[in-house]
Amino acid sequence: MSYKRSSINRPPTPDVDKDRENQEPTLQEIINIKMIETGEKERLKELLREKLIECGWRDEMKALCRAYTRKKGKNNVTVDDLVHVITPKGRASIPDSVKAELLQRIRSFLASTAT
Amino acid sequence: MSSKINHHQKINGQNFPQPCPHLADFRARHGSKPFRAIQECLRVKPPGGRAAIRRDPSEVPRCGACGDASRPRLYACMACAAVSCHAPPHSSHVAMHATSTCNPPGHEIAVDVDRAELFCCACRDQVYDCDFDAAVVLAHTTSIIQSSKPENLRKRRRIDYRPWSPDLRERALMVSNASPIDSSSATNGDLPRGLRGLNNLGNTCFMNSVLQALFHTPPLRNYFLSDRHNRYYCQSKNGVKMCLACDMDAMFSAVFSGDRTPYSPAKFLHSWWQHAANLASYEQQDAHEFFISMLDGIHEKVEKDQRKPRNQGNGDCCIAHRVFSGILRSDVMCMACGFTSTTYDPCVDFSLDLEPNQGGSTKTASTKSNHSCNGEADSMNSSQNYGTSTLMGCLDRFTRAERLGSDQKFFCQQCQVRQESLKQMSIRKLPLVSCFHIKRFEHSSVRKMSRKVDRYLQFPFSLDMAPYLSSSILRGRFGNRIFPFDGAESDALNEPSSEFELFAVVTHTGKLDAGHYVTYLRLSNQWYKCDDAWITQVNESIVRAAQGYMMFYVQKMFYYRASERQVTS
Repeated sequence: MSYKRSSINRPPTPDVDKDRENQEPTLQEIINIKMIETGEKERLKELLREKLIECGWRDEMKALCRAYTRKKGKNNVTVDDLVHVITPKGRASIPDSVKAELLQRIRSFLASTAT
Repeated sequence: MSSKINHHQKINGQNFPQPCPHLADFRARHGSKPFRAIQECLRVKPPGGRAAIRRDPSEVPRCGACGDASRPRLYACMACAAVSCHAPPHSSHVAMHATSTCNPPGHEIAVDVDRAELFCCACRDQVYDCDFDAAVVLAHTTSIIQSSKPENLRKRRRIDYRPWSPDLRERALMVSNASPIDSSSATNGDLPRGLRGLNNLGNTCFMNSVLQALFHTPPLRNYFLSDRHNRYYCQSKNGVKMCLACDMDAMFSAVFSGDRTPYSPAKFLHSWWQHAANLASYEQQDAHEFFISMLDGIHEKVEKDQRKPRNQGNGDCCIAHRVFSGILRSDVMCMACGFTSTTYDPCVDFSLDLEPNQGGSTKTASTKSNHSCNGEADSMNSSQNYGTSTLMGCLDRFTRAERLGSDQKFFCQQCQVRQESLKQMSIRKLPLVSCFHIKRFEHSSVRKMSRKVDRYLQFPFSLDMAPYLSSSILRGRFGNRIFPFDGAESDALNEPSSEFELFAVVTHTGKLDAGHYVTYLRLSNQWYKCDDAWITQVNESIVRAAQGYMMFYVQKMFYYRASERQVTS
């Protein structure tokens, strides 16, 4: 892959080191599991979904996918192609206000569970 | 069973591709059993949310190879249930799992654990299977689908169209029994036939405006002009008594006679007063109320005459309901247990709330671009008119899932108590003619007063109703599934199209208690303003700028654009 942009190849969270598998889970993992267990992750996803629809981000992505599919011909496109092509654009065009709101929600969740 | 999935399938109006060789191979090897077995692992949480795959409700799925639980795409193998991540081009443990030499072939098909969608690791693409999708839809709810099943089975056969022209005997009958319209009077002026002013009989513009729209409602006009309700015959059979359809017949004859002098619908007004005694006065009335009441009047008469149980929404009733009635579907889902109760209600129009003033919020922009099919309005204003209410916006609100909060709890049949619930409306069956009534008259129970909302509403000349149909709404709820939602299969046969054309707009100017109704008619793509006795040709920009109160759209196949001229001349 000659086309490298940090945003595509960046995994959402750092990989767990293979040799640390038997050790204690990382803080990030603990938070993730806590969020799943309490249902907060599901709520956050729903909130994010709503916000992205509201600000027109989803429609924008839909249009990009459509344009790409039209260009390539609908029988020559796979979901993986689309994810690969659209992900960097999608990450880059999320409005800062949405990011800020989500971060705020995660912070307040952490604060409420830490006590 | 397996042969069934081999054709190109058309469900919910969409073409689904043939299964990929790996899916076909998987089905040949395992049959449909794995897809049904997955039903036990399908969790929909919270009710109304998305379907996910979990072996037990508290499972935190993680990739078997790297142990990561936070990957965005985690797949469970349909053959051995191993969970792996997929993050190309970085790493794809699911692809490794599929091609691993330790496994026998047949591990290519996997299911996305958070989305409950099938994926083929060899094709790197989403795949569709009807048994799997049926299991997902079933997990969402058991009640919805079964309630509409019996109806799906009934498929009506279409009758081929054959052009008709009178033979010699019929021609002779027509000549001896009809009084042909003097062709010289028809060519008087350039106005199309049927445009005739209506005199105001004392604050009756509410009636005139609706009547003008009805005179030019294609299926209604064709019904009366082809003598399907003959007033002489009706009266000789039933005796002389009040019959709104007879008065309609008389008015249609008068309006289409070619005479251009304004007509006074006094007889009709008198009959309507008898029908709706509470509205019989020379006061101003609501045009929409009149519309409902007069359709009722026509319907009631037929009901009395024929004494057959009639199913209003099914289109085998009186002319009023055959033209205007559709079926609304309403789903109420309990937020505690997910049980959904579905009801179907006939309707003769769609009463829509105006969107609350949004003053530049981005909300309307997103709802607008949702419907690229309704392109006319779309391309024009997505940039310049932020915050302008549109008819599509109103329809979006109308079909949006609405949370019924703690103050309006709904009785859940399964929980046997009142619960918070989610309500969503959609259109099960479209009428031939859709009348949209915009609720411009607002009653505030708090301030104990009513007021009129003067806000501008943009309406397209061509409207696609597909996004508001039950099949589309349910698809939005369950995802893209190979599953006939809400009898979509039979609908595709019965309903030729969801495309509509605007042909009349009833507008209101003035205040709540004193105002004036004017109708704009679109005939052969030219607009005419009908203001009581006066009829004038107007530019379409005037119509676009008008404050619509009732909008009449007809199914596109009934809207005659250019051919109408030839017929009348």
